[in-house]
Amino acid sequence: MTTVLSGGADPLISLTGVSKRFPNGTLALDNVSMTVPKGQLLSLIGLSGSGKSTLMRHLNGLHKPTAGTVKVFGVEVSSASSKQLRDVRRNVGFVFQQFGLVGRATCLENVLSGALGRLRGPRYGVWSYPRTLRREAFDHLERVGLAPQAYQRADTLSGGQMQRVAIARTIMQQPQLLLADEPVASLDPESSAQVLELLLKVATEDKMTVIVTLHQVELALGWAHRIVGLRDGRVVLDQDARGLSQTDVMEVYRRVDRESELLATPSTPAAAPITERQRA
Amino acid sequence: MTAAHVEPLARAAGNKLPRAPRKWQSKALLAVFVAYVVGVVWSWMYIDMTLLTLFGGFTELWNLVVDMVPPNFDNMRVVLKATVETIWMALIGTTACVVLSIPLAFMAARNTTPNPVVFAVARAIITLTRALPTLVLAAVLTLPLGIGPLPGLLALAIHSIGMVGKLFTEAVENTEAMSREAVTSTGAGKWQTVLATLVPQVTPSFIGTALYRLDINLRESAVLGFVGAGGVGFVVQQHLRSLDYQRAIAAVGVIFVVITLIEVVSTRLRASIIGDHLSSPTKKTPRTMARERRDHRLLVDAVTTRRLTPPWTYERLVRSSAGIIYLVLIVVAFATIDIPYLSALGLGDEVIDSFGRLFPPDFTTAGPELWQGIRETVAIGFIATTLGLVISVPLGILSARNIVVNRFVYGTTRLFMLALRGLPELIVAVLFVAAMGLGPVPGTLALTVGTATFVAKLIGDALEEVSPEPREAVFATGASRAQEFVTSVIPQALPNLVSQTLYMLDVNLRSSTVLGIIGGGGIGFLLLSALRVLQEPTVGAIVIVIFVIVYSIELIGTFVRWLVE
Repeated sequence: MTTVLSGGADPLISLTGVSKRFPNGTLALDNVSMTVPKGQLLSLIGLSGSGKSTLMRHLNGLHKPTAGTVKVFGVEVSSASSKQLRDVRRNVGFVFQQFGLVGRATCLENVLSGALGRLRGPRYGVWSYPRTLRREAFDHLERVGLAPQAYQRADTLSGGQMQRVAIARTIMQQPQLLLADEPVASLDPESSAQVLELLLKVATEDKMTVIVTLHQVELALGWAHRIVGLRDGRVVLDQDARGLSQTDVMEVYRRVDRESELLATPSTPAAAPITERQRA
Repeated sequence: MTAAHVEPLARAAGNKLPRAPRKWQSKALLAVFVAYVVGVVWSWMYIDMTLLTLFGGFTELWNLVVDMVPPNFDNMRVVLKATVETIWMALIGTTACVVLSIPLAFMAARNTTPNPVVFAVARAIITLTRALPTLVLAAVLTLPLGIGPLPGLLALAIHSIGMVGKLFTEAVENTEAMSREAVTSTGAGKWQTVLATLVPQVTPSFIGTALYRLDINLRESAVLGFVGAGGVGFVVQQHLRSLDYQRAIAAVGVIFVVITLIEVVSTRLRASIIGDHLSSPTKKTPRTMARERRDHRLLVDAVTTRRLTPPWTYERLVRSSAGIIYLVLIVVAFATIDIPYLSALGLGDEVIDSFGRLFPPDFTTAGPELWQGIRETVAIGFIATTLGLVISVPLGILSARNIVVNRFVYGTTRLFMLALRGLPELIVAVLFVAAMGLGPVPGTLALTVGTATFVAKLIGDALEEVSPEPREAVFATGASRAQEFVTSVIPQALPNLVSQTLYMLDVNLRSSTVLGIIGGGGIGFLLLSALRVLQEPTVGAIVIVIFVIVYSIELIGTFVRWLVE
């Protein structure tokens, strides 16, 4: 396994021996070690349930590791105080598959909530944010092409538009690191291409370090510097994207596929209800 | 073979197939049913109700109606003043309850509670506040606080926490967690996150609940005067005592109009606040279309000129003006209601003192009467529930548009029910007592009427929603209208009957604990007389008994509902 790009002078992220066992006994991460230098575009691949989302959630302290250490911006996230954690989170943008917008609030309010980490005290409604921030939020909406929808409720938008609002909220944060957890998995092919392109354009323009989980292997190969494959919580592939062929990458999926069929234990939470229904 | 084939298909389609209940559960259910029937028979004998007294009651009622015509409106100034006080009490009581319920809800909701101890305490408060009926609470509070609106609105505020707190908690628990995770990820603090993600989600349902409770509290507040706790109930009672029926009915008329008006307003407000503009069926009238065009123009202007505040769309205008009107009303209410604010501050100690004097409770002085009161209270609850349900069936069928083809019958039935439901149950009861004299029979009848009209509305609505396909299938075989009704409509509506019966039994037992306060039978009468002669330990005993009655029916109800499921 050749790791070309890891281990720069000052890694933004470093994981050493990270394992995570959930209270229900699932081992989601199994001794994961890796470093990510500043400015890298990294794509995490692997089947659902392979630990990609769990790994991401460790990087901003939404999950705490059972063993090992997670360092982001030099801060040890697993033992950080709540203030340190807020500082880390403020610098880490997170884009979710399900957008995580407040449907009843307007797009502008949703974008503004990205500035909460910079502000003190609770805010409620557009008027409670400083005017400069409101102007800034408008700019970000403009950047994602949704300024005309600023005063519409977020739940009146299409999926692609919602994800663009979520991206605008992330830009509002001015993060150094952008984590995107299957950002286009619940979108149709056309808008997923648009949204992904937008996300990457914004990230490179603003010089963010990016970690994104993707199912579309060609997309991942097309823009990423580095591909990391996960299976059952273990790193099974970690390579420079150049010189990596699609079939190489597909191996990560295929091997897992066959194995899970053989073992007949679906580790994927999404697949479990289906099998139950079939059994009934 | 075919059955085995069909079953998985039906499940895949999401059809609920009835699960065969476990053996002891069906036995327990049967036992509950038998106990219920025994209870009803015993109650009937205890109260000594015969069909004759029932019909006798109707002639007496008719005589009262004759005595009440024409209504005498020359005492209107007093009535209106008392009515305004009633409204202010409901408004302040509801506001206070909402203010107390919001923190309670966040403490009692599984997804926001800070720790298990706070959780348990908050849950306990929400459950316990419901257990004492408002009127009982108000009556006891008049001991330290004296006659006037203060004990009344405090009773409203405390009792309402039970319902409002519970619904608020459910609203908080029903929020989605994704946006919370997302905003936490931006580095927002705990309270910032709650305010940015949870509050927008729960506000509409909080406001809807508050408005709904305001309706209920207005009805309750109209009868608080019966125990001297302020409001228009006192005026009604005065006129009835002096046999001035024409003035009494005029006051009742005012109550009816005010309650109905406020209900209409709050229902419309509730619909506009909760109503998702995505799903609301928009009827296109020229007015709404003009409104939509204006809103659209405003939105476009706002984003092209990059306004930094939201534009004044119709929706925002309505909400803001409703908010301002509410603020004005609550300020006026606080300013004009007859509460000695300065001395009220010192009353806290007195309240604690006087509650202390309720203990140790004295069960012996009123011993035999207490026992009789309990039995009468339970009997009234059983009869009113059963009789009300029996009457509600024909009434409900008559009020269903899709079953009664005759529009006149349907219309009159709905109107009759609307008129009866418009009045608080205790006002109906006090009129019945005026017509038939003191005792459990008029009280029982009043609760019966309340139950019948309430359930009939539900039956009517439910029948109108019954799916038409099975009916058509039965018709297609050439069945008559009656045959068709029995075979297809009733089985479809039956599952609700059990839970409805339990609910009404709960409501009626609560009501029958206070009926005695107006002479309608049951333990309430004892409470009032013990209060009058300041026998505080006896009051304590009665309060405990009422608490136990109400709480045990709630526990039984929960158990039976669990059995049915």
